[in-house]
Amino acid sequence: MSNILEIKGLSAGYGPLRVIHDLDLIIQSGERVGIVGLNGHGKTTLFYAIAGLTHWQRGSIRIGGKEIGRTRSQGPGRYTHIVVKEGLAIMPQGDEIFHGLTVEEHLDSGAFTPESWKNRKQKREEILEIFEPLKKLIHTPVGRLSGGERRMVSIGRGMMSEAKLYMADEPTLGLAPKIGKGVLEALLKIDLKDSAMIIAEQNVALLEGKVDRIIGMHAGKLKGEASSSLSMGLKN
Amino acid sequence: MNDIIFIIINGITVASIYGLIAVAVSITWSALGLLNLSYGFIFSFAGYGAWLAERYLYGEPIFVMFMGIAAGIVGGVMVCLLVFIPVHDKPNFTIRGMIGTLAISLIGGQILLQNFGPKAKLLPEFFGYGKIKILDVTLTADKIGIICSSIVMLVIVVRWMKSSRRGLEIRAMMMNPHAASIVGIGVRKTGIYVMAVTGAMTGLSAVLLSQTYYLSPFSGLTPMIKGVSIALMGGLGSVRGAVIAAIILGFNEALTSKFLGGRYVLMTQFLLIIIVLIIRPRGIAGILDKAREA
Repeated sequence: MSNILEIKGLSAGYGPLRVIHDLDLIIQSGERVGIVGLNGHGKTTLFYAIAGLTHWQRGSIRIGGKEIGRTRSQGPGRYTHIVVKEGLAIMPQGDEIFHGLTVEEHLDSGAFTPESWKNRKQKREEILEIFEPLKKLIHTPVGRLSGGERRMVSIGRGMMSEAKLYMADEPTLGLAPKIGKGVLEALLKIDLKDSAMIIAEQNVALLEGKVDRIIGMHAGKLKGEASSSLSMGLKN
Repeated sequence: MNDIIFIIINGITVASIYGLIAVAVSITWSALGLLNLSYGFIFSFAGYGAWLAERYLYGEPIFVMFMGIAAGIVGGVMVCLLVFIPVHDKPNFTIRGMIGTLAISLIGGQILLQNFGPKAKLLPEFFGYGKIKILDVTLTADKIGIICSSIVMLVIVVRWMKSSRRGLEIRAMMMNPHAASIVGIGVRKTGIYVMAVTGAMTGLSAVLLSQTYYLSPFSGLTPMIKGVSIALMGGLGSVRGAVIAAIILGFNEALTSKFLGGRYVLMTQFLLIIIVLIIRPRGIAGILDKAREA
């Protein structure tokens, strides 16, 4: 078991606002971790900090042993594409989609490594097996899809390449419970092999028993950790 | 009857030259957020590149044309390195980029003036002096050549954007730059591709226009102004919108110069643009866009 993600002393924020306070986190390969916390407590910012999208940050972030943290961010997003190519698959919150691309092109855009670009047809088939409803929408512009379908596309995009770390930011947010459950189940179907996955959620019940660990996040810090079977035990 | 066909042909010829620049302006604006006012310079730069190639290397028209396109690519990449890459992540990028590219247009023009002098240069006629007569209408080889080569260029660019990986990246960035960085698309690298492609389009329009008229250090300014206004009418950022706007304004130019006289062209042109923008603030693209905004 090797460490996929190693964060030490990470602080990050926007302008004068400090959202994440000296955070430490280690995620090992093959692990599925749920991060649970309320709105505005830094789940998204943690993901953005890993991707280099916050205005500033300090501390160490290692992905697969390679340092990607920077003491000072030079403009949000400037190095994101380099960080992403280290093996990040980000499934962002909300509508981070390309509204004019068709579903097919949209999935292709997620295949950022040369290898996955070559195998994109096969990958697409695999993803369409998981997200059945997208099959007949394959040539529709994403801007015309419903919220649930868009989320499927956005998650599918993240699954297109072989990543070291999958980060899904509130995959069920704003979806009807039934559809949200389906989307989450699809996420859990991804075969991790040596990679790892972080899922941020507000709803603990959705993750219980399905992930290896659940970590609480409060006011920019990680608080309390439970293996998800333990939390099941408490409930019974 | 003869007159009408003459006007149609003239309109399409004008449209195809300015349309190339308009599409270039549109693509740069929506992919990079840069209102590139340096196409005037790239235009003259490409023209002089073609002229130098013709004079010192080899006079074959096809070769000269490709050298013009190549010079356009070089000019585009140069502007990208000088303006886009240094300022793209600074605050107020839109204004800074506009001023920077305008400065390049003016400074570049002066440098060309210094090196080549104010005397207009001539490029050889690429398409010869042949004429075809179809149903009483004479079509000159020149006009047919201009229309065909522009269409070929546009089709190549659009197909490249539709089918290649770089094209996909550019289109993704046109639609949502933030999400584009999330899927690993780098702004600066894409910027170079965008500027090279749009530079090639400007280069082609430069050699096409210069072989009909003449080439001078500032001969790119008028085509650039027309290209930018066509792009505006098309609804900055839409390739289809720019093409349709170019055709409308091309006909306007042909009609105006036929019935009112050449000096009224700019007047009717801007009146038309203003009218379209009053009715459709998002330009022609506003009518075409099928996708729901995010």
